[in-house]
Amino acid sequence: MVVNFTLNEEGISVFHDALACMFKFSDEVCLETKKDKLTLTTLNLSKSAYICFTFAASRFFSRYSFEGNAQYRDRFFCQLHIRSLLSVFRPRQGGESGRDNRETTIERCDVAIDDGPGRKSRLVARINCRNGITAEHSLSFEPMAPTHAKFDKTEAVNHWTISSRTLRQLMDHFGPGIDLLDINTDDETRVVNFTCFTEKVQKRGANANEAVLKKPLHTNIAVEMDEFDDVEVEDKLHIIISVKDFRAILQHAQIISGELAISYSNPGRPMKLSYNSEGILCEFILMTIGQDDAISQKHKNPRANSVAARGARPELDSGSRRGSSVVNATRNELSQAQEIPRVPQLQQKTALRPRQPQFEIRPQPIPPQSVAPPPPATARSDSLFVPQGDDDHQWEPINPDQEDDEGGNDRLEWNSNNEPVWRIHIVHPNISLTLVTRTRPSFASAAI
Amino acid sequence: MASPANTAPAPPLFRAVASSTRPLYQLLKSIGFTNKVHVDITENGLRFMADHARVMQGVAHWNKNLFTSYTTNLTQLEDEDEEDEPATPTFQISLPALLETLQIFGAVDAATRQAKADIDPYRSNLRNYRPDAFSNQTLGMSGTCSLSHSQDGAPFSIVLEEAGVKTTCNLITYIAEEPELIPFDVNDLSFKIITQARWLLDALAEIGPTAPEKLTITASRKAPYLKLSSVGALGSSSVDFAKGRDLLETFAVRDARWVQSFKFDIIKSAMEAMRIASKVSMRGDRQGVLSMQFMVEVEGAGLSFLDFRFVPYAERDDNEEGEEDEEDDEDEGEGEEL
Repeated sequence: MVVNFTLNEEGISVFHDALACMFKFSDEVCLETKKDKLTLTTLNLSKSAYICFTFAASRFFSRYSFEGNAQYRDRFFCQLHIRSLLSVFRPRQGGESGRDNRETTIERCDVAIDDGPGRKSRLVARINCRNGITAEHSLSFEPMAPTHAKFDKTEAVNHWTISSRTLRQLMDHFGPGIDLLDINTDDETRVVNFTCFTEKVQKRGANANEAVLKKPLHTNIAVEMDEFDDVEVEDKLHIIISVKDFRAILQHAQIISGELAISYSNPGRPMKLSYNSEGILCEFILMTIGQDDAISQKHKNPRANSVAARGARPELDSGSRRGSSVVNATRNELSQAQEIPRVPQLQQKTALRPRQPQFEIRPQPIPPQSVAPPPPATARSDSLFVPQGDDDHQWEPINPDQEDDEGGNDRLEWNSNNEPVWRIHIVHPNISLTLVTRTRPSFASAAI
Repeated sequence: MASPANTAPAPPLFRAVASSTRPLYQLLKSIGFTNKVHVDITENGLRFMADHARVMQGVAHWNKNLFTSYTTNLTQLEDEDEEDEPATPTFQISLPALLETLQIFGAVDAATRQAKADIDPYRSNLRNYRPDAFSNQTLGMSGTCSLSHSQDGAPFSIVLEEAGVKTTCNLITYIAEEPELIPFDVNDLSFKIITQARWLLDALAEIGPTAPEKLTITASRKAPYLKLSSVGALGSSSVDFAKGRDLLETFAVRDARWVQSFKFDIIKSAMEAMRIASKVSMRGDRQGVLSMQFMVEVEGAGLSFLDFRFVPYAERDDNEEGEEDEEDDEDEGEGEEL
């Protein structure tokens, strides 16, 4: 036996929750064991999210022993299907109502992993139920070294901490059909804004060449900084992540409970979320969306565009300079990518300068400013918003020319001066909610 | 087809009235794995037999105790027809249609009602899974369900009466195919185990997620006594009943061990029976046929039994496919000797 450990009933459910959370990102998980800890890691398909759960050997397991063998002296690792693990570690009670469930609940689960020459490479989980029935599941695995993403703490100067419960409650205000979340702060009003929106477009028109925003609705949740602990964030820095990932994390964070700590640097650089509880440490590294990523992604061929739009996941390896550099690096353990200091960033800045920092689906600023818009631009400007005057087309970052200050090129704001948007403000004691929409809102849709 | 009734209204071949269709529905649903079910009307009740490709058969009985009144007029057949006619009326009937009919009114079991409440927000908010204020149970007006079959070839009619609403359903009866029972030699049993049906259910639920093709059942004199195992695409699973002293109520194995493999899906079709039954008696004969008898306790009507028979995979197949697993090979080696 290479590894042997026992989970009690509660441990099984924590283990199951962790796997269920990972399952929202990936189909497979890497299990890594050392003398003092067991680690589950996974990287999602687009390599934009990395998840790592660490279970302390002494505190989380009722019994844990790492013996190792000739091949795996210090650590053992393998890759397994999450789906099959989920069915093994699923909670057994429940189901039949009115039954005396105590008997069928699990007393403990012994897991043994065996590997090596001449032995069957299997993870064997033996479930002991209280009534004496034992179930044994043996799962095959693939020997595969886990990929670890590294996060440069020194680079991540922006950070804050908040109770995962509070944050989870805020999430209820996120509207349906959104896929991006913009986190930004305002030092003047002392609030942290969570703006969620979607860049998904619908194709319309005879040749399906008109792109129309699927949901022209922005929901802004402003949370007073007092709700947070340890806030240190650059003013007006916009950081964008995928709502789907964020949701999955918060759902799990709420079960584990405790403080959720987030730290990040600039758009297009990784963000780290972490929380911990009795014997379990949960870490997530998400790649944030640089604005150029969004653009380059959209400018690819229309097929890829629709795929990206459907996938709801801003893939970072979709051809942008920055994204691809990161992804290539991820292939050789992702760590170097994060370790590369700021050099690539500086390069990017120069590279980015000629680009219009805008989202493709927004109507282009009508010439003269627009610098040789790509052919689809004219089609795009026939979009839903066309009937509004020329000035109204400028739903674009407020300061497109300010690329000099750090991260400025990644800003994402909406011009609030002269565009006909509807704003709905909802004020709670500590939270204010703003819905911004370009279409006349019906109160049914704005109801929260 | 003999049609004796051109005179005054002859008493129907069979007529029965039940105050609740729920037990009838539950019993019948547990053999709901086929489209057509074979019905025999006897003096003691109705016998339904479902057959799946001659490798699985399920028999459910509606004992006459389940009905408030139960009359048959079987002499009618015997009198008028010759001896070569079957003494009991037999026919086939569409099982899904019959099941559908039985739950037209309040007989819908609580689970279905809950499922509806989940979908319908109005119900789930305001009524919170409570039974409907106007349901028959609440108003104390239980409906009646009368079943009748007037003569051979006539439809099987079900009349449901509840709170002044009367629903008549006539189900077409089909000519019976002579159903051959899967041969099971009660005098040549290899093992007999009686246990709680829900434990068998739990064991199958444990194996279910791996969606295996085959389920191997091993009964052995020594531990693990009773073992269910399977090999799926992602790994193998097994459940054994070795540790619980009280798990097996009756346990007798004639030879050292009895090992047979069955198609997992057919065993799974018996899960509905495991859910409603309190006890199960598993028996295997020397040829490998597995019989499962489920004892269902019906409130106010005593016991009902459900009878399942399963034909195993031919053993040669087992050896070919079982070679991945050394243990299996061993098992099958011994199995062949039996």
